Amino acid sequence: MEGLRVVIVDDSPFSIAVIRGILEDQGIEVVGEASSLEEVKVVVAETRPTLVTMDMTLPGTDGLECTRAIHKIDKTVKIIIISAMMDDEIIKESKKSNASAYLQKPVEADSLITTIQRIVNSEELFLVLENDYPFVFKESLLDALNKMTKTRLHFKTENSYREEHLSNGLTIIMGIIGRFSGRMFIDLTMQTATEIARAVLKREPAGHEEIVSVLGEFSNIVSGNACSILNRGQKAFGLRVAPPTIMHGEQVHITAPSYKTFTAVAETSFGEIVLNVGFQRGDDHWM
Amino acid sequence: MDVKYINPFINSFTTVMPQLGFQSIEKGEVSVKGRNLENDGVIIVVGIVGEIKGNVVYCLELECAKKIASTMMMGMPVIEFDDMAQSALSELSNMLTANAATSFAEMGISLDISTPTLLYGEKISVKMNSDKVLCIELIADTIPIHVNISFD
Repeated sequence: MEGLRVVIVDDSPFSIAVIRGILEDQGIEVVGEASSLEEVKVVVAETRPTLVTMDMTLPGTDGLECTRAIHKIDKTVKIIIISAMMDDEIIKESKKSNASAYLQKPVEADSLITTIQRIVNSEELFLVLENDYPFVFKESLLDALNKMTKTRLHFKTENSYREEHLSNGLTIIMGIIGRFSGRMFIDLTMQTATEIARAVLKREPAGHEEIVSVLGEFSNIVSGNACSILNRGQKAFGLRVAPPTIMHGEQVHITAPSYKTFTAVAETSFGEIVLNVGFQRGDDHWM
Repeated sequence: MDVKYINPFINSFTTVMPQLGFQSIEKGEVSVKGRNLENDGVIIVVGIVGEIKGNVVYCLELECAKKIASTMMMGMPVIEFDDMAQSALSELSNMLTANAATSFAEMGISLDISTPTLLYGEKISVKMNSDKVLCIELIADTIPIHVNISFD
């Protein structure tokens, strides 16, 4: 847990001393303390911690308000609520305020350190996924097209903008489930889909139904192979793919989700294929 | 398609919607449809993997989606179906499906859900992943939402 910088928020000097003791015993750096909303804002802005331990009852404010204030300064700060109170309602409120975990006072060294470890691991694991998945999905698309149609493709453009996508006509959506959930979609014109189906089947497709089925299976292969490769690299991803849902229409808008996605446009001998993939940071270190 | 799969979705609707500020919750028609659906408005796809595999597709009219977003945002007027409204509807589908997943777990069926994908437009043909799609109409404050369940 090197490089971890922690701020302790609590109105009791005793609690601060206990938490500081646990952290420093593990070589974790405590960079600041705060006991009011104002202090929280100043300390977080000045010290830029990676993690904050947060008391729930504070004079003139509460842990949830402080959590939100911290995330206004820096969304990536991980917050562990440490409070004497613990019930379903308050845990739910904490989740809603985007705290990463909830521990009850008196906090034990083991559970605090395990919780921090889990949060740090989760973050590191997500960064690995975020770094790897664009390349893996692109390769998987290239490979699937090559195996199924014996043709090559090249990627024209790539971006990670958060923007709505106007469908070219046919969209295949694949839900992805695992340690981090997400989705993939493949979008193309009906014309391109028809030509891909013709190449895959090596004959004229029987009709719309068959074209759409071929593209459904194609998308299933692209996402399934990509997830298998990612899982082989990191078993902990445990990615699995839901069956395809296929949309067809003249003016279909696919909206941008709340998380970052990656879009690549591939030029193929049949026309363009748009590939979009993204994963959401999980909150599954909740206990 | 087993009819016992209906209840988790009705339960999640009656649990979640009042928490979001809806007063009256009703169950509409339940029907079994084929693989192909036609829809105008907003469509939200949530993938399911686990002991059952499939998709849940929420369909509702654009105006209904705006009304729901407005209620979820404490009555703030929603004129355009903008980012904020889209995000509210995505979150709603996530809550409804996650809540249904909890009911499934209580029945001994464990499953996980994907993030939602939200689309909107006119005359959208939707091809589901199975031949029998269970469609439940659920109504919150007279606003109908069609929940289409398609398990492999």
